[in-house]
Amino acid sequence: MSKNKRPLWRALAVLLALTLVAASCGDDGDDPEVTAATEAAAPETGDEEPADATTTVADVVDDTQDGDILETILARGELNCGVSGSAVAFSETQPDGSQTGFDADYCRAVAAALFGDAEAVEFTPLTAAERFTAVQTGEVDVLMRNTTWTQSRDTEVGMDFGPTTYYDGQQLMAREGDGFSGGSQVADIAGAVVCTNAGTTTEQNVADAAEAAGIEIELTTFEDFDQVTENFINDACDVITTDGSALVGRKANQQPAGENWVIFPATPISKEPLGPTYGQNQSRFADVVNWTVYATIIADEKGITSANVADMAANPPDAEAARLLGAADDEQQSNMGLAPDAFYQVILQVGNYDEIYSRHLNPVGLTREGSANAGWLDGGLIYAPPAR
Amino acid sequence: MTSTMGDPAATPAATADLWAQEREPAQKPEEPSLSAGEWLGRNLFSSPVNSLLTVVFTLLVLLAGRGLLNFTFSEERVWRAVKTNMRFLFTHAYPQEQYARVWFCVGAVAVLSGLSIGLLAKTGRGISMKKLSMNLMAAGGAIAVGILLREPSATVDSEGLVVHREPGTALDDSFAGWIDANSLALLGLLLAANVALAVWFRYQGVYLRGGPEPRTAHGVLVLASAAVLIVQQYGEGEIVRESFGSAMADRAWWWLAAALLGAAGGALWFGLGDARRRNTFVPAMYVFFGAGALMVLSAWVYPWGHYAFLEGEFISEPGSTVAMTTKLPWTVMLVLLVASFEAGRALRATPAGRRLRVPLNLLWVLAPFVLYWAVLRDPDLDWDHVLSTDIPMALFFAAFGGLAVWFLAHPRIGEVGRVIAVALVGVAVLNWVAAFFGWYPMLQKARISFLLLAVVALLAHNFAGDRTHRMRLVVAWVAIMAVFHWLVTLVNSPSTVDTPTDALFGGFATTLTVATFTLLLAFPMGVLLALARTSKLPIFRVLATAYIEVFRGVPLITLLFFFVLIFNLFLPGGMSLTDIAGATIGFALFSAAYLAENIRGGLQAVRRGQYEASDAVGFSTVQRTLFIVLPQALRVSIPPLVGQVIATFKETSLLAVAGMFDFLRIADKVISAQSEFLGVKREGLLFVSFIYWIFAYNMSKHSQRIEKRLGVGER
Repeated sequence: MSKNKRPLWRALAVLLALTLVAASCGDDGDDPEVTAATEAAAPETGDEEPADATTTVADVVDDTQDGDILETILARGELNCGVSGSAVAFSETQPDGSQTGFDADYCRAVAAALFGDAEAVEFTPLTAAERFTAVQTGEVDVLMRNTTWTQSRDTEVGMDFGPTTYYDGQQLMAREGDGFSGGSQVADIAGAVVCTNAGTTTEQNVADAAEAAGIEIELTTFEDFDQVTENFINDACDVITTDGSALVGRKANQQPAGENWVIFPATPISKEPLGPTYGQNQSRFADVVNWTVYATIIADEKGITSANVADMAANPPDAEAARLLGAADDEQQSNMGLAPDAFYQVILQVGNYDEIYSRHLNPVGLTREGSANAGWLDGGLIYAPPAR
Repeated sequence: MTSTMGDPAATPAATADLWAQEREPAQKPEEPSLSAGEWLGRNLFSSPVNSLLTVVFTLLVLLAGRGLLNFTFSEERVWRAVKTNMRFLFTHAYPQEQYARVWFCVGAVAVLSGLSIGLLAKTGRGISMKKLSMNLMAAGGAIAVGILLREPSATVDSEGLVVHREPGTALDDSFAGWIDANSLALLGLLLAANVALAVWFRYQGVYLRGGPEPRTAHGVLVLASAAVLIVQQYGEGEIVRESFGSAMADRAWWWLAAALLGAAGGALWFGLGDARRRNTFVPAMYVFFGAGALMVLSAWVYPWGHYAFLEGEFISEPGSTVAMTTKLPWTVMLVLLVASFEAGRALRATPAGRRLRVPLNLLWVLAPFVLYWAVLRDPDLDWDHVLSTDIPMALFFAAFGGLAVWFLAHPRIGEVGRVIAVALVGVAVLNWVAAFFGWYPMLQKARISFLLLAVVALLAHNFAGDRTHRMRLVVAWVAIMAVFHWLVTLVNSPSTVDTPTDALFGGFATTLTVATFTLLLAFPMGVLLALARTSKLPIFRVLATAYIEVFRGVPLITLLFFFVLIFNLFLPGGMSLTDIAGATIGFALFSAAYLAENIRGGLQAVRRGQYEASDAVGFSTVQRTLFIVLPQALRVSIPPLVGQVIATFKETSLLAVAGMFDFLRIADKVISAQSEFLGVKREGLLFVSFIYWIFAYNMSKHSQRIEKRLGVGER
């Protein structure tokens, strides 16, 4: 008897293994349905999964229409935000997995506007290669990921761009000991070994700038900017170049004692406007993202900070602030499908533009004064349309 | 530590198990015992060429070892980055307050491993005391050499920066400075002396005579060269370094470890005497447990330092021992492993132990699914749905299918059974067609259950027999339905464990998960593909060949990019595949093609006679394949299969390229972008390679044991 028993059991074990394979295939079959059920505003997937969070927004929004991503997000109760996850001071992944930085805080700001909860964000770290695909497949709702606004991306790639939150530009960095200073120009690097990371527009930009200045340079490229910096520290490169924000971060953290690195020219050799990016033709969601950014800028202009926003809402300094904070009857947030106090929550939980900027970018040495990122009243480019 | 002579329980159990026929190793002639000097003379300094090769390669090994040690322990290394990110590297964003779940999973694997090794593994005689004591002494010696070889620490100022010497004040006037300045000349001189000695001994005929002079003379010269390599570092360069005395004092803990290991080895060696050291054996697991216990003990005693990131603050306490949340769980894990191993050993000879074998193997198959979906995700079950839909449906399929199987496995069912089974298959297939066109809305799992039932119905006549046999088949069906419906319900329930990213975890956990699920998917697929490719039916043969050739011809990274990034674009709106599921599918499809080829090799090694014999006793094709051909084919293909497993495990690092946060990506890209550790990359890469190596090396060792046990290559 025991002789017959073994093969049978073994065959059943094989069968069970096959079942489990089927079960995990079932996962691939069933999981999307779950996603579909929770993502669709009007659930129509039969009895498969109960859709839960549709009631809370039903009374706020009246013009429900198919394919409106804003409805989907509000129903989901969480913003899917694409970040880099490895961009110093913009979106760093900390050892506990949390995201910190300028971009990460703008994700939180949009979440605060949408749900009144800055923590209702699911961060998806994305590589440069997959970021646009992630938006197109709906994996993320919005990109806060150091993405330069360019014509081709706006048209051919099929993205839409929100207001620029950070005006970046490519600059050069060299050692003061080699005779460079903050006032140096591109023409001063003639004959130098210039290093940058491969496959990016930075390579092309610096070559163009050298040609325009009529000088010869020796261009060397590396796989990533860590290697570039490493080679700069080891004297294998005379000059390194990338976006100014990254250079400042490197200088703040990796400059050896006894050396002084300088960044030049004062006017960058390229324009890199960075801001929120989302899929095409989603005006209602785009409005929410754009006006969240504008709200932080207007609050900065009016001196409304996370510390005093409660007082400001109680005693608004002017009519515009009252509207923006939802303290006046002619507020516009309800028309956008948001709660009247949406931007009040943004300022309270995340802060105004200057607070977000100073919190993350000042520690790595990026200051607003004199840069394009100063407010328009201080000669910068940070400007918001009026809230009325 | 008690010593045992093999395992008496293994022998009766082994005869019953087809998979584990143990052969007595042929008696090898006893080797004569050599003294250390004689051994050196015979193996390293037996001829002029051998002597020179020994000298040159010893120097190369010392140089490489010195380089690695100096790299690892240099003041410039920011190991704090790896230590602070330890949890991050292994599980990414898995929340700390839920971390008990991770430890539960590790504990479950520890208990399963302990039980399996204790209950099932053929441990053989174990490790001889001779080998053990030699290895202990070698480990102690290696540590001592390492301590001496490492360069002295640089002096660090109050801000943690390395102090440089003022220009022009080199240590040239000191002894070490002189050695450093002339090190190349000295080493060249010593090498030339070695050559001269080799030639001289050759013409004196010393090598032929086997005298002790060559090993003594060459040995002294090797030691002198090593001394140059060590002393040189104390006179080196621009950095102010500590003196020899304080360097050795700083490494007191390491001296202690070297002395303890050496003393333990020496005590065993000299305490036992030649005959007893040869003939006393320790089970290999006890040696492993001993090493584990030493490591856990060091976590409680040695100041490895406590580094963490808690509530937005970096914690850095270099002088303390590791955090309680690290050392306590590991201690528990070791205790669980030892306890379950002992329990397994105790049960081994008993009937209960023998009955446990099959369930234990089933548990191994079930564990990844249960641990992933039930423990790590902690599914939030919707009880209304469970009670109203899930449980009734499972009960229905269990009852209906049970009856069908009971009926179809009747010995006298004949052609009627076949017709019914084919009809069931037809209905199941139609069901999927209906799903494709969306005719009858139905839960996916109902369709899968029906398909499973159809397959079991087709197979049922192979298991026809008396009441007890049929009952067993019914019970197995009900068990399959219970497990299947339970798992699908878990899969469909949302997770209560909330992470800041869309993935449940990343890092090494992703590596392990993808590797495990890939193998679970790819093995059955590979077996089926191999069978199909060797099938007599042209349609199967052509399809399997096409599949294998296509997937072997496409680069793995292409498949990964497709399934992780692009596949979602082809899915209907709202549907999406998570990264980890996509990656697993890509890996499984790829590995299945390779595994199929390995198994096909095994199938071809099964002799014709085996087929003919099974035909002669009236086996059906399914019976012949399951019980005669596959066991033999799989046994032969173990070495290439394990090679494929190791390759798959290491290839998961390609996930980093596809943009997933696996082990390598975190070490390479993410840690180096934290402003606290900006640009710190080498430490992480070294650590990651070390962990990969540990796992791959253990898999390779384990496969060698299996091969030996199954006698692959001997029969």
